[in-house]
Amino acid sequence: MNKTQDIIKAIHSLVPPDRNLKIMNVCGSHEHTISFSGMRSLMPENLELIPGPGCPVCVCPESDIIHAIQLSKKEEVVLVTYGDMVRVPSKKGSIRTDGINFRIITSPSEAIRIAESEPDRTIVFFSIGFETTTAPTAAILETGIPDNLFILSSHRLTPTIMEVLVKDREIGIDGFVCPGHVSAIVGSNAWNVFSEKYNIPTVVAGFEADNLLLGIMEILLQVKEGEFRTTNVYSGVVRPEGNEQARKLLDKYFKVSDVNWRGIGHIPASGLELREAFSDRDARKLFKLEEIREEKIPGCICGNVVLGKAYPADCRLFKKSCSPKSPQGPCMVSGEGSCNIWYKTYK
Amino acid sequence: MNNIEIGHGSGGKLTRDLISSLFLKYLSSSELHSMEDAATINIHSGKTAFTTDSYVIRPLFFPGGDIGKLSVCGTVNDLAVSGAIPEYLSLSFIIEEGFSLNHMEEIVKSIAEEADRSALKIVTGDTKVVERGKCDGIYINTAGIGTIVRTFTVNDVSSGDVVIVTGTIGDHGTAVALARNEFDIETKVESDCASLDSLLTPVFDINGVKWMRDPTRGGAATVLVELSEETNLGIRIVEENIPVREDVQFIADMLGYDPLYLANEGKAIIIASEEAAGSVLEKLHTHPLGEYAVIIGEISSDFQGLRLKTKIGGERPLDMLEEDQLPRIC
Ligand code: SF4
Repeated sequence: MNKTQDIIKAIHSLVPPDRNLKIMNVCGSHEHTISFSGMRSLMPENLELIPGPGCPVCVCPESDIIHAIQLSKKEEVVLVTYGDMVRVPSKKGSIRTDGINFRIITSPSEAIRIAESEPDRTIVFFSIGFETTTAPTAAILETGIPDNLFILSSHRLTPTIMEVLVKDREIGIDGFVCPGHVSAIVGSNAWNVFSEKYNIPTVVAGFEADNLLLGIMEILLQVKEGEFRTTNVYSGVVRPEGNEQARKLLDKYFKVSDVNWRGIGHIPASGLELREAFSDRDARKLFKLEEIREEKIPGCICGNVVLGKAYPADCRLFKKSCSPKSPQGPCMVSGEGSCNIWYKTYK
Repeated sequence: MNNIEIGHGSGGKLTRDLISSLFLKYLSSSELHSMEDAATINIHSGKTAFTTDSYVIRPLFFPGGDIGKLSVCGTVNDLAVSGAIPEYLSLSFIIEEGFSLNHMEEIVKSIAEEADRSALKIVTGDTKVVERGKCDGIYINTAGIGTIVRTFTVNDVSSGDVVIVTGTIGDHGTAVALARNEFDIETKVESDCASLDSLLTPVFDINGVKWMRDPTRGGAATVLVELSEETNLGIRIVEENIPVREDVQFIADMLGYDPLYLANEGKAIIIASEEAAGSVLEKLHTHPLGEYAVIIGEISSDFQGLRLKTKIGGERPLDMLEEDQLPRIC
């Protein structure tokens, strides 16, 4: 019997027979591993592994996407952003179909290179993502960016949205598997609030199936013992205090702000905007961008998928009119989006 | 004059020059030399396999092959997995005005080399040239004729049969993806582009070999999904047993591709009865192209569709992809 099978066995023996349990992951890479490894087929029937808000592309407000499209139409502007963002649909199309001057980059340093090579144009870096992608953006600000480079920040905070989920009784989360990448920056201590304040078993796990299974087992142990803590089963990479230098930089350049989440709505203190001191780098200020009201996509239930209230397969457009080639909603676009992952792994 | 001109496809003097200075220099069949409008060939009495394919790959030259080699292998392999011994080939070019004659020569050379390997006679052909920008360098069409020595049909596939793959999967797709230089990756992977007739013909004699297919576009998964649909049977493949080169897996992970859906140009999938599997593998292993041949799964009547048993023992369905992971792969 190998180690993996032992853990799976333990999971089966630890699950209480008389109640249903929901363990939520909040990371696209976790959902990827769970789905691609067929992990759900190995779980006890009364244990659900539900995907939560793990995909930054999925929650980026429609308003920001429309702004990005419109900015790319200005003659003097080049919009640069990550590959998935150009395909996200909005009522004004996507950056790819309706944008004009835009380039795909894989890291913020490429934005600098583009700005340096085109000094006569205004380069707008549409910077999105959770703590993992905010840190590199803060890093380029720290090293200094060219005068013609501006940031359109659409960053979001993972712990805040998780707290919203916890308070939502409808979802009823019995355990959190917290993302390894984000934790490497914010530290495993950032999740203590869930085990301490809300009595929810919480683990930090890596992205290998074995490590995730270990995390699930740890959650079930806590359920059984009735003692709740935040356990780090990814300690080779994640430290309790995280990456202090990255956190300092985040704090230096960004401040917490009240923002919208696509399909979900307004959530106080859940986003990051550039601090006043750096507002001369802020594309929102430069172009005086105002919030545009989001329009619901008919039939799309992405908001509920992100909140763990529905599975992708519950959407009536799933695998019908909505597919990675023609995504109707944002969750079908990126390889971290639950609908995109499920498209490839479920019938 | 170092480039192809419109006149090279006009049927006039330039065309003749091209044929004699290039094609006939490397391609030596008597049928081609007679320069008739149609080749006269002898076909054995009995069943004949006849297939055609067009090649539009980008880039034209890639590690492990080029469009010329591919245009022979691809058609040879379609014949071989149909239980046929390849004999004759037609060869047609659509070339963009301005295409380098040196490249043309390289392509014709590798066509000749690959055809010789299978003792295949190129007996007829055609050349057309289109204006600049109307095609991407060169497109090739080949058609192949072969004598069928063994008939395979999906109707023979039944529960309990095993799925064999003749070697590592995803090499060609990965090689071509890298050769396009769209990614910042230094590693080189060679395409598996190869003619499979000498590997597969010896297997034709084994009783219990039921069906074969070469998993090109869409990869191994697509071929197996199609097989499960045609037979209404289930196919379960075991992730752990699927041979994937380490560098291919690494790059696929990086680019978000799944090797199961990546093209191969020198691999076959063979369905054989459980009893025959041992002899099939034994034969395959004696050939350099079959060194890594292995059983990757089984046919079952307990379910329908294609399923993957994952490394941790979980199961998930594998479906056809909506679109090719990489367009213009062959
Ligand atoms: S399947 Fe498409 S339309 Fe439905 S929730 Fe997912 S992204 Fe939205």
